[in-house]
Amino acid sequence: MACSRRNLLIGAGAVIFTTGVSTVAIAKKSLVATQEDGDKRYGMVFDETACIGCTACTDACRETNNVPEGVSRLKIERSAPMGEYPDVDYTFSRISCQHCDNAPCVTVCPTGASYVDLKTGIVDVHGDKCVGCGYCLAACPYQVRFFHPETKSADKCNFCRDTNLKAGKLPACVESCPTNALTFGDLNDPTSEINKVIASNAVYRSKVELGTEPKLYKVADTKGEIKR
Amino acid sequence: MNTFISAFTFDSLVWDWIIAVYLFLTGMSAGMVLISIHLKRKVIEGKASANGIIKATAILAPLGIMSGLTILIFHLTKPLAFWKILVYFNPTSVMSMGVILFQVYMVILFTWIAVMFKEELATLLQKLFKDRLAFVNPIVDKIAKFENALELFLALLAAMLAAYTGFLLSALKSYPMLNNPVLPVLFIFSSVSSGAAACLMLGVVGFKESFHSKSVKWIHSIERPVVVFELFVLLTFFTGLIFGGGQKEAAAMAAIGGDFWASWFWYGVVGTGMLMPLALNFFVPAQSRHNKVFVLLVTSLSLAGVLMLRTFILYAGQMTVV
Repeated sequence: MACSRRNLLIGAGAVIFTTGVSTVAIAKKSLVATQEDGDKRYGMVFDETACIGCTACTDACRETNNVPEGVSRLKIERSAPMGEYPDVDYTFSRISCQHCDNAPCVTVCPTGASYVDLKTGIVDVHGDKCVGCGYCLAACPYQVRFFHPETKSADKCNFCRDTNLKAGKLPACVESCPTNALTFGDLNDPTSEINKVIASNAVYRSKVELGTEPKLYKVADTKGEIKR
Repeated sequence: MNTFISAFTFDSLVWDWIIAVYLFLTGMSAGMVLISIHLKRKVIEGKASANGIIKATAILAPLGIMSGLTILIFHLTKPLAFWKILVYFNPTSVMSMGVILFQVYMVILFTWIAVMFKEELATLLQKLFKDRLAFVNPIVDKIAKFENALELFLALLAAMLAAYTGFLLSALKSYPMLNNPVLPVLFIFSSVSSGAAACLMLGVVGFKESFHSKSVKWIHSIERPVVVFELFVLLTFFTGLIFGGGQKEAAAMAAIGGDFWASWFWYGVVGTGMLMPLALNFFVPAQSRHNKVFVLLVTSLSLAGVLMLRTFILYAGQMTVV
């Protein structure tokens, strides 16, 4: 039986437990190696059954990528409460860039500032090429792009491409997740952890009917309706 | 007041009223050019440059497009970087293709006006710069030999420009109401409608073109069919959305069956902008129609209606995400 207090305790315990664990060092080698090889297709799995809505990922993202207040690259959205007190439960969903293979933001950008990096499959923004027309913000069906208040360029999640990933670490959200709800890796590599998670779970992606080919997979929560 | 504020500020809103004004000005410019080219080729007898409607177009068409692009530049988060949009191209981007179209359109538009008003231009240059810019005149004379081709090309560009403003929005897959193939067609009709109103307003009231001149009569003759077609295209636009079901239907219902924007559409766009000018032209006796106040009233209503249509499409279109 699901119980919010129980979930909270598990989450809190998990935060304490995973602090300082040296998975970083292990990840370092493998990530540096894969990036140098080129032609990776980085993707992510968000496990809704594991997420407890602690938003450690949101905070880690903000800190690592210097995201100012008022905007965010990553949001955790909590559903309406399900059930009667005291047996109230929630589902959580991740709102962030889906790193589409066929990205509408890239197609519409008049200057080519918005682009898919072919070496990694990461959708990113050339800040100096962006003029701030907002076409990409409007074109994104996932509504995850925003104008950075300081650089005035379009901005969004880039899998920590120029921060953690560059330093050979996993994206900040993945690193900080106390319940291992996030899996990051190369979709082109059949032996990668992400492909194992996708193969062994029922996963879905948001708005696939648009043909955007998003690379953010989600393990559906066992509770409630899937909000695609 | 609260509904008013929430109608203009919501989470999924990216492009605000500045873009609606820009769409309006661009459409008006293209519509005026399309009408004036037809008048010059088929209706006007004698010198086109003496015609009040042509004079109105020579002033408002370039002014409209230039002021539209100026407000657009200042709407960018980085206005000083606007030149990058002229330097970098992306062939898959409707906006990038539009920027090329704008540049060609403006060059051809200015050339066309220079050729039509070449005598006035020569006098003006002489007055302002003495002989220093006299070399311009033989160049204009040379281009004048290709006036026919120039005109046809400009008409094509103007039609593309009117449609472009529609394609710009219909490329947005994220908003089901905007991602609609009828939008460019609707915008061509509303462009011609606003072009006709602007031609009459400045041509008749400003440049004193006679109510009985052939060019004014021709514009009057197209006004009604254009508005009727526009209404029909609006009908197909919304039936298409409603029959499409799902988020398309939700978007249509939020737009025309909801609160603020529904009133805006029915009372403003359809009532004030389309039905009232139609009714005024139909019921008011001919001799009362032939005064400047009447023309000013009807054309103001039409122009306000087109501006309200563009604003409505933009805001209501962004309310519902796919």
